[in-house]
Amino acid sequence: MSKSSGNAAFGTSALAAALLASAMALSPATARAQVLQAAVDASPAGLDPHLITAFTSFQIVNGTIYEGLTTIDKDLRIVPGLAQSWTIAPDGKTYTFKLVPGATFHDGSPVEAADVVASINRVLSKDIASPLASRLAAVDKATASDASTVTIAMKEASAPFLTALASIAIVPRAFETNKDGLQRQPVGTGPFRFKEWQPNGFIELSKHAGYWNKAQPKLDGVRFNIIPESATRQVGLSSGQYAMLPNIDAATALQLRGRPGVKLAETMELAYTLVGMNTSKAPFDNPKVREALNYALNRGEIVQAALFGAGVPGGPLSPALKDWAVSTSSFPCFTHSAAKAQDLLKEAGVTTPVAVTLLVLPRQDIRDIAQVVQAQLNKAGFKAELRIPELGQFVQDWRNSNFDAFVSTNAGSVDPDDYFFRTFRTGGSTNVFKYSNPAVDALLDSARVDLNQAGRKAAYDRVQNLLACDGPAAFMTYGQLFTASRQNVTGFDIIANRSLMSLADTTLAR
Amino acid sequence: MRFLRTRLIDLVLVMVGVSILTFLMIRLIPGDAVAIMLGANTEVTADRVAELRGRLGLDQPIWVQYLSWIGGVLGGDLGVSIWTRRPVLDEIIGHVWPTLQLTVLALAIGAGLAVPLGVLMARLRGRGWDVGLQIGSVMGLTIPSFWLGIMLILALTVLAPEWQVLGYVPFSQDPVGNIQRLILPAFALALPILANLARLVRSAMLDALQQDYIRSARARGASEASILFKHALRNALIPFVTSVGIMTGYLLGGAIVVEQVFAIPGLGRLILGAIAERNYPLVQATILVVTFTFVMVNFAVDLLYALIDPRVRT
Repeated sequence: MSKSSGNAAFGTSALAAALLASAMALSPATARAQVLQAAVDASPAGLDPHLITAFTSFQIVNGTIYEGLTTIDKDLRIVPGLAQSWTIAPDGKTYTFKLVPGATFHDGSPVEAADVVASINRVLSKDIASPLASRLAAVDKATASDASTVTIAMKEASAPFLTALASIAIVPRAFETNKDGLQRQPVGTGPFRFKEWQPNGFIELSKHAGYWNKAQPKLDGVRFNIIPESATRQVGLSSGQYAMLPNIDAATALQLRGRPGVKLAETMELAYTLVGMNTSKAPFDNPKVREALNYALNRGEIVQAALFGAGVPGGPLSPALKDWAVSTSSFPCFTHSAAKAQDLLKEAGVTTPVAVTLLVLPRQDIRDIAQVVQAQLNKAGFKAELRIPELGQFVQDWRNSNFDAFVSTNAGSVDPDDYFFRTFRTGGSTNVFKYSNPAVDALLDSARVDLNQAGRKAAYDRVQNLLACDGPAAFMTYGQLFTASRQNVTGFDIIANRSLMSLADTTLAR
Repeated sequence: MRFLRTRLIDLVLVMVGVSILTFLMIRLIPGDAVAIMLGANTEVTADRVAELRGRLGLDQPIWVQYLSWIGGVLGGDLGVSIWTRRPVLDEIIGHVWPTLQLTVLALAIGAGLAVPLGVLMARLRGRGWDVGLQIGSVMGLTIPSFWLGIMLILALTVLAPEWQVLGYVPFSQDPVGNIQRLILPAFALALPILANLARLVRSAMLDALQQDYIRSARARGASEASILFKHALRNALIPFVTSVGIMTGYLLGGAIVVEQVFAIPGLGRLILGAIAERNYPLVQATILVVTFTFVMVNFAVDLLYALIDPRVRT
């Protein structure tokens, strides 16, 4: 009796083990020839490139399914995309693009100038309501001169225009007035075509056989598995079920470092972390208080404590933009000094400790940074409290400037205009600080229409110096961006703007 | 018949209440679909945001939105997903199978093992094994499914790296792969209800074993096995059936967590994703469907109970 009961007591585990064993014996070697299995954390809301601009969608479609007239390469330079060449009139008001020969859409139709015109009109259309419209604000009219030549007339010269075009996907002209057709069934020109979307399961792309660059793609397909749990993604990569975790943060990457069969690619982020201050109300309406906050921050400590050393202190532009960024050594406030902060607060005439509430973006790395910031501020004459709401609440408060100050991250791009104009110009669409500085405005306006590189550089150097220490944002850090992959993945280049376009050159060794 | 009628009225009231509650609650959460999709720090002008909201029908007054929605629901139209314009019903049907399979599998494991285990626990009462089993069942009750899920995944990657645990393939496509991927999450999901039900069977059995009819059976010289399984178990099963019905509701909730850990594209993931992107029609419809299922299961259990035990019919 006791013997049999002993067996039954472990019935549960015995049964589980039996099921394990039997299912394993039956398990087929699920060998998918040259389809790269990637794992990403979130399902995109849709795949219409003119509508859904979030990174979850961008990284799946940019440079894989869709291409623009121009492209941003791994060194962050503007290079030809669907346009093989272009000419710009001396006054900067007319662009003529020559399309690459032999390009076809995934539905088989050839890419012609009329498709480019339709795509630009689609982004500008009020009916489609594309959030990208502001990037084409300078466009007056696009016309097809012949089947392979597009002429774009501008209202005014626009220095960041070629950068902006890299983010405007070219779609078939049939979609010009079609609002919903591309959300679930994207049709582009890129090296991969859309194959299947199992909602919350995966999005699979397959090779576009008619791709204009005959040397690409090398893979037969890419499957983006949607895996919400970080622990599950890590296990999947370690066990080899997934071959790539694209665009992950330092915390995840450092846990994967050194695992057998796993390698990491890294690059400097374009996005930066900041403490944004509301300049329309006390205490941060006073430039001296803003400067005091800058001195109170110990940026090196933030990098060590919250980014695990994987990052650098940085100013208004990413150090990755070597042609543009001013070295932080020219910003005095980047040398931490709690005493100097206290002095500045005294000069400002505010009663210390200055009580402030920091609105915090609910993302793990930003929360970590916010806690370090809070501790540093509290040692330098501030009394900081953190408020970490749910994302929807954060976005709402952020957009409505409903904060004393916030801790968050701001996206970057390869052109300084994208960093500055919308964020720091008076009335800019993301100027939630309500910052207004006529000197900055004048410089941003002139640099935007200045096609002379040296002139632009001088203007943006000046802007960086104006913003760095008593501007509306205390610029803190630029983190490292990582992509983890299996050792047998070759040819992949990580790009700071998070595009996965180099999947076209990626191969899987057996 | 009166019993049936009151139950049906309850059912309708619950459904109306749930429809209003879900409709209001999802809108009480700050932020809307447009703000969430754009995220913080996206470059977009205010008039474009207004146009996007208009495009999605979010600029209507809330009561207009509710009436047009509930009108559609009564006519069999659950609405369309906010960004993709796909019928919500298609989205739900696309996600229902993994959850259904997971729930049924977990229920089978939980309920199937609970009876022998519970009987055994009752039989062994007071012996050394009893303490071990009691500790085991309390652990089973208290271990959270998500933790157990992660531990199972980690253990398996070490023990059997070839085993494909993550994600989901439809049964029709690859039956072995399907079972292979679902067995661990089903186990993680089943453990708490297994422990719960086994404890229930144990106490019901102990209760039954003290009844007069057992003593009579013993006096008649019935075998120990006959007493346990024929006389005691049959009576102990009445509360068991009720509990299984309630557990089904628990399983639907637990499935959300387990689907998240094992990356199974089921209803739980659908609801979580829909809430995160403020996809109002999808949240409303999914919660309505899940509630309806739960209410119907309980209704069926009530009927079953009435069949087993004549006393509840009045």
